[in-house]
Amino acid sequence: MLVPLHGFLKGDSLGLVVLVHDHDTMRRVVSSLQQAATCRVAPVPPDGLRVWVKGAALDPDLTVAQAGLEPLDRIDVAPNEVTR
Amino acid sequence: MLKRDEWLDLARKLDWSFSYVDEREVFPEVISGRPWLAQDAWKDWDEPYRTTYAEYVTNQHAKDVALDAVREAIGRVEDFQKHDASWLNGLKLHVATLPLAEFAAVVGNLRAGRFARDSAWRTTAALGALDELRHTQIPLLLMHDLVQWDPQFDWTHKFFHTNDWVAIAGRHLVDELLLTANPIEFAIATNFVFETGFTNLQFVGLASMAHHVGDRMFEKMVQSIQTDEARHAQIGGPVLQTVLKHDPAYAQYLIDKWFWRSWHFFAIVTGFAMDYLTPLKDRTASFKEFMEEWTLDQFARSLEEYGLKKPWYWDQFLDGLDQYHHMVYASAYTYRATVWFDLTLPGPEERAWLRLKYPNTWDRMEPIWERITERARQAGPGVEWYTHGVTPVAFCDLCQLVLCEGTTDANSARTYAHEGRKYIFCSEPCQWIFQTEPQRYAAHKSVVGRILAGEAPPNLLELVKYFGLTQEMWGKDVAGGSYPWLVNAKTNGA
Repeated sequence: MLVPLHGFLKGDSLGLVVLVHDHDTMRRVVSSLQQAATCRVAPVPPDGLRVWVKGAALDPDLTVAQAGLEPLDRIDVAPNEVTR
Repeated sequence: MLKRDEWLDLARKLDWSFSYVDEREVFPEVISGRPWLAQDAWKDWDEPYRTTYAEYVTNQHAKDVALDAVREAIGRVEDFQKHDASWLNGLKLHVATLPLAEFAAVVGNLRAGRFARDSAWRTTAALGALDELRHTQIPLLLMHDLVQWDPQFDWTHKFFHTNDWVAIAGRHLVDELLLTANPIEFAIATNFVFETGFTNLQFVGLASMAHHVGDRMFEKMVQSIQTDEARHAQIGGPVLQTVLKHDPAYAQYLIDKWFWRSWHFFAIVTGFAMDYLTPLKDRTASFKEFMEEWTLDQFARSLEEYGLKKPWYWDQFLDGLDQYHHMVYASAYTYRATVWFDLTLPGPEERAWLRLKYPNTWDRMEPIWERITERARQAGPGVEWYTHGVTPVAFCDLCQLVLCEGTTDANSARTYAHEGRKYIFCSEPCQWIFQTEPQRYAAHKSVVGRILAGEAPPNLLELVKYFGLTQEMWGKDVAGGSYPWLVNAKTNGA
């Protein structure tokens, strides 16, 4: 199932709507948002980035469904060490 | 014969006590606004201009003759063609948002001309309606001749009839502010907040830049409009004074709500023009400096005079003054095919100026422009898509603008569930406005909502068509990506 998410990449100037599959991992979600913002934000190695939801960093191997993400939820993609 | 001041109130103050109907039926609260007060509470309403209809006609005729003379002298296509391309695109942005919004203000004023609670107020509003009709006609007339040269000027009339995202945001604001507001909300929101609070940015700030650029036509147009605005804006103060006496919390609410909504509008329309689309050599001050001089100082002082507080989100607003329009501009540049005017890529000198004017925040924007510049350099002139986004952007469910509040490190967007539907807002004030009157806003669909409902296409190229744009019309880089500094930087290995 396709899940549209409100995505905010650290360093970017705006929020985007990224369309992901419910079986996509957080690693894949990071990469999708980086790709979507690539003309404004230079990509960094995705291993250093995490998906953050409500102040918590999600495991990169977790899928969208496992993370309980629903359509139009907000996700942030930011470095691993960021405390939100 | 009676002198003017001896007979004037006989013609302006025509209220009487109703004997066959109830006053509430003549002025129902749902149309006249709240707080509903008997006429006695409004009977001292007055404003300083006290214009008669005969004076109005004479003065307006003289203004139109003067403006026509300027148009005859310097309003031809070849006169506009002399101007810098960036400036002309700032002009396209302005003239699209202006005339039909002014036409909506005709409706708002006419409603006040019937349902406002004092006859002198109704008279002034009726003249205000005539003013706004003039402000509709002037830009439509001036820009009409330019359409044959540059089809993007067609958006002077077309803009509000499209589903372009800026037009959706514009209608969301204008429909509430001008078309549907009752006379009390209209007077406080439009006359007091929007007109006295913000329009000097255009009439003084942008007019001074137009003077430097040499665009005397634009300068004269806004100056001519300003003389009307200065008069009918006076409606707001005395209305605010009466509402304050009877319902101060409501007065403060209207101020807080409309200051925020007006701020977003001007941050884009004027912020883009002053800090990006006016050629660097012609910039007399930054948008922030104009805001500080013409809005913060003067508006804050008049709030104090009325015994009102600054809006509760004032600190957030001050933070946004340093970055909101920069965030939106960078976003719009990389989605320029979704608008009807071209945008410029700020070069090293412009970015140095922006750093000077925004020393506390520009460092956050700089990496974005470095990235865009690098890609523009890699792509070379004429290749638009390499510096253009393809993913749909997200929009605020209140202001309908892109989610650009906060900073590049911490976007302040926030989600909220209401009656089973999810909403997202760019900022705390937008969410607060929504939550205060959800019945006003809940049913509206943002661009994303329309895509998810199958009413608009998800593919950006198709979405641009839904916005009413064709390849000929849609926004591009002003210089087609061909900037001397971009070539030099490449040569220098920078």
